[in-house]
Amino acid sequence: MTMLARQAWMETKLFLRGLDNLFWTLAFPVFFIVLFGLLYGDTLWYEDLGVRAIDHILPGITVMALMVTGMMQTAIGFSEEREKGIYRRLALTPLRPSAILGGQILHRYFLVLLQTCILFALGIAAFGVRIAGSGLWIWLIVTLGALGFLSLGFLLAGLVRSAQAANGITMVVFFLLLFLGGVFFPREMMPGFLGGLSRVLPSTMLNDALREVMILGRGIGAVWQELLGVAGWFLVSLLGAVKLFRWE
Amino acid sequence: MTAALEVENLTKRYGSLTAVDDVSFSVETRETFGILGPNGAGKTTTLEMIEGLRTPNAGSIRLLGMDVLRQPQEIKERIGVQLQSTTLHAKLRVAEALRLFGSYYRQAIPADQLLQELALEEKRDAPVAQLSGGQRQRLALALALVNDPQVVFLDEPTTGLDPQARRNLWEIIAGLAERGKTVLLTTHYMEEAEELCTRVAIMDHGRVIALDTPDGLIADAGLEASVEIGGAGEVLHRALQEAGLPARLVAAGDKLVLHTSESSKVLGEVTRIAGQLGMTLDDLAVRKATLEDVFLALTGRQLRE
Ligand SMILES: Nc1ncnc2c1ncn2[C@@H]1O[C@H](COP(=O)(O)OP(=O)(O)OP(=O)(O)O)[C@@H](O)[C@H]1O
Ligand SMILES: [Mg+2]
Repeated sequence: MTMLARQAWMETKLFLRGLDNLFWTLAFPVFFIVLFGLLYGDTLWYEDLGVRAIDHILPGITVMALMVTGMMQTAIGFSEEREKGIYRRLALTPLRPSAILGGQILHRYFLVLLQTCILFALGIAAFGVRIAGSGLWIWLIVTLGALGFLSLGFLLAGLVRSAQAANGITMVVFFLLLFLGGVFFPREMMPGFLGGLSRVLPSTMLNDALREVMILGRGIGAVWQELLGVAGWFLVSLLGAVKLFRWE
Repeated sequence: MTAALEVENLTKRYGSLTAVDDVSFSVETRETFGILGPNGAGKTTTLEMIEGLRTPNAGSIRLLGMDVLRQPQEIKERIGVQLQSTTLHAKLRVAEALRLFGSYYRQAIPADQLLQELALEEKRDAPVAQLSGGQRQRLALALALVNDPQVVFLDEPTTGLDPQARRNLWEIIAGLAERGKTVLLTTHYMEEAEELCTRVAIMDHGRVIALDTPDGLIADAGLEASVEIGGAGEVLHRALQEAGLPARLVAAGDKLVLHTSESSKVLGEVTRIAGQLGMTLDDLAVRKATLEDVFLALTGRQLRE
């Protein structure tokens, strides 16, 4: 096994030992799918298109899961481990920083894919969601989203001094991206000013792209603007994250 | 013998504070070298600069013939470090941690062997968060040894341990030297330095104020024994000062300490003077000088308050 794969596997093993992790990555998004499925079930949200609430919510919750696993847990987890001095001890070994970070990114990326599969399977099996678009495009969008939120997570960790501050700032950013990003409710419901802000958020652009592909079966050509926007967020966060990165 | 470590004019500043101030020393291969000093003396900073964890503001460090700043990767393969406090992922298990850290090196000692040597076999599957303080120290030491290093750095390896656990750790550390390893350790405990170290550097306020073998330090300070008088008042203090005794008189708290190489003469004089003043000596002791006394003689302060 290469160093990178071994690190990723170790991260995964340690992750699975934390019950709170399993709650946030699995129970939390699954709970929302089930809740919306049972409450609104077959209610038509966009009658002309025949789109039900659950069809609309599934891509939204997928983006939420991406934010939790990619951004929130990365920012909080990394700052906590940094504050405890875990990386200081590792810095004394020949293990390269790139292997440490690469291992974390790989681990989180696989987690995101797993989450997506579980949420999709639940939507399809329990609530009759029909996925119109191509699996390849969906995978591409999810991957781009995961990269974007992971970078944002490392950027947030770089911005703050303490684990406590990381907790605070991450929660604020998370709820902002969640509610203004149209995860639960159609963006059309937002008043003008918020609507404008909403349009440039990465969560919004991901939601829109994912919905067009999943629900309406569009190709990547129809959502290139959104994807470009997400890629922009990804690059800017990545540059910031690299610039502000600290091991201790 | 060749030098395993050569430190020259090492300096580290934190803002306006000079934590390590122009420190130079060298450590021979197979030596156990101690850095002794009070809180904030700069021991950890010195050690961590040598380990490559902190960057010096000035000075040079050659470790195993290599420049620490230029060849960090190769040096990491060959040194082992126990930090003043080591934190591992709380969910990591003991044997697992040893195997994981072992996997980071070109060569590694099998986890089972380390568990046995450091008496951690019973805890092999315990999460590190559940270890006692002493067990945690032993695991930190085991991790420092996992790559069979040539040079081992131990930052206060026995702080916080009970006397029995401390003795056990001393045995392990002495065993390292027997196996040909070079050891650098820091400590607050004089007994520890005297017991383990071939040479000791005494640090205070970022500087090395003395460096020699433990016996050499004691002899150099002109201290062979000390006469300690507890509960002595101001009157006795003044009388002893004026008596012109062949001793160095130091007041430490409510204690008077007379460092001397002529203990019987001093003792006789002290008894005589106290008798003249009509005082009783209820708390009087004579003992062989220790590094503790050396520190007191050099700085006029106790090592630990
Ligand atoms: N990262 C840092 N930033 C600012 N000041 C620091 C930092 N690390 C250490 N210092 C200061 O440098 C001085 C030396 O600290 P150091 O930890 O080297 O002392 P020490 O001899 O190891 O003490 P102790 O016995 O308490 O471990 C102290 O005054 C400390 O407050
Ligand atoms: Mg220290």
